[in-house]
Amino acid sequence: MIRRILLAPVGGRTWREFGYVLASLLPAVPAFALALLGAVAAVLSLFTVGLPLLVGVLLLARVANQAFRWPARIVGWHWPLPPPVRRDQGRLRWARAVLLDGAGWRALLYCFVTLPVTALAAYIAAVSLAVGLAFLTSPIWWWLTPTGFGEIDDPGWAGTWLYVLQAVGVLLVWPWFLRLLVSLDRVLVRALLEPSPDRTRIAELQTSRALLAADAATVLSRLERDLHDGTQARLVSLGVTLGRIRHRVTDPEVRALVAGAQETVADALGELRDIVRGIHPPALDAGLPTAVATLAARSPVPVETAVELTSEPPAATASTLYFSLAELLTNVTRHAGATRARLRLAEAPGCFLLEVTDDGRGGATLDGGGTGLAGLACRAAALDGTLRVDSPPGGPTAVTMTLPKEG
Amino acid sequence: MRAVIAEDNPLLRDGISLLLTDHGIDVVGAVDNADGAVAAVYEHRPDVAVLDVRMPPTHTDEGIRAAIRIRTDRPETAVLVFSQWVETSYARQLLADDTARVGYLLKDRIVSTDAFIEALHRLVGGGTVLDPEVVRQLLSAAAIDAGLARLSDREREILGLIAEGRSNVAIAETLHLAGRSVEKHVSAIFTKLDLPAADADNRRVLAVLRYLNTHR
Repeated sequence: MIRRILLAPVGGRTWREFGYVLASLLPAVPAFALALLGAVAAVLSLFTVGLPLLVGVLLLARVANQAFRWPARIVGWHWPLPPPVRRDQGRLRWARAVLLDGAGWRALLYCFVTLPVTALAAYIAAVSLAVGLAFLTSPIWWWLTPTGFGEIDDPGWAGTWLYVLQAVGVLLVWPWFLRLLVSLDRVLVRALLEPSPDRTRIAELQTSRALLAADAATVLSRLERDLHDGTQARLVSLGVTLGRIRHRVTDPEVRALVAGAQETVADALGELRDIVRGIHPPALDAGLPTAVATLAARSPVPVETAVELTSEPPAATASTLYFSLAELLTNVTRHAGATRARLRLAEAPGCFLLEVTDDGRGGATLDGGGTGLAGLACRAAALDGTLRVDSPPGGPTAVTMTLPKEG
Repeated sequence: MRAVIAEDNPLLRDGISLLLTDHGIDVVGAVDNADGAVAAVYEHRPDVAVLDVRMPPTHTDEGIRAAIRIRTDRPETAVLVFSQWVETSYARQLLADDTARVGYLLKDRIVSTDAFIEALHRLVGGGTVLDPEVVRQLLSAAAIDAGLARLSDREREILGLIAEGRSNVAIAETLHLAGRSVEKHVSAIFTKLDLPAADADNRRVLAVLRYLNTHR
């Protein structure tokens, strides 16, 4: 214990903390200015004109959060950035989300309080160090300067040792002052800059889920390729060989047997095709617009198709859109009693939009049995999307699915 | 008859080659990629080129693009494209300009060897071959066209068989109808689709195109 106290002034931790308070002054000064600007913007917001300014300040506070991470590395602190505000629902909603975003406000509060703390810590540390070192060496200075410390208040050479004693006191105490203030800053960082454990957990889950979805899409696509290039090719080849055998034999019984075997192979190929269509529609490899056109072409109820995409969605999104569309078109045929339907696949700011409308009898609900709409809502939710059903009794029915562009 | 085969799966490539040879068709080239297929067609001037849709390097629609090139550069060579699944847009691309000497079949159909060989002969003779599954999908979607919407179920079925490239006699056999009544249905189809009374074969092609174009 005593050893720790005695060694604190020369300990690595003390010097790292000293470096930290000095370095964090760099971001702290502009951050403080930002906090003041934020206060002005908050007042101006009462007259609406300040709102855009406030949005900008809150966004900059997030940037400041990032900047504070650099000096923090000196003392080995690290924290994940709060998840960014989602921008997939239009400009106004995004601005509203920024204004209501706790992480931005907390960062701004930190911008305000950190300057006094770090400035005080830096000041105390620098002054203690300077005074302490000067006093500690005062006997040498006294001896070196011929006039001593002047005539008025000369303690004499022996008296300077009193200074040394004071210096030792100061030097032993300042690391602990510094440590106290840095600990205070640590508490502030924890409370204001680090995302709360819940937010962190949510962000982790979102990332891992997006990875899982993408991985599942890759696996299914590979499975499809394997079935087509391997199993299907072998079955076809088997069928061809059977055909050649039948061509060579004359015995009618053998020919009939072989013909039966050929039919079995053909049936197996048909089943294989249905299975593949269920796990990964190969049409998706040719791009979502082509796959959608093929689906629409397959629908017994005439479908007017409008595809307005400028970018190809990621595999998991494309596959969800495809299977949802297949389900919706089945509903149109099976439940709606519709004579025609329209489908639109388009892009809204930040998201993909799938819309299916029909002129059927309406009355579809999310919890209605047998229509699978609840399942579609789950599919959409798995990618952070939404499903909206607008289907008054008597029709018409409009189902809209939105999926964000980035998960 | 002389044929060029392009198929990247060696098992299938050899199988088809041997099958064709068994049936007296001379396989003058068997390659595993689309560029090779086009080159072989230039070199050997075959009667028919049999192409897989999905081939290296991208494994997407190489076969279709090769088929379109062959049809543009050497229209006298018939083209039969094999697909692992039904893709109506491929059929549309293939049949866009001219339907003579074009075929589009599911790979599965090779298993019915006799029908496959017969389809090749039909193609080389200037006919069209469309997979029943493709036709079914195109037909089920076709009701948007006013003329097509007027067709009865039976007429629809017959138009489907026409689209597969069958003759009236073959249709009568398939549906167990008298030849006379098939003719009656066919002329009813032409009337409902407002097709000009030019030569009969041309009208059959126009009727098929009508299906394919409704969804373009």
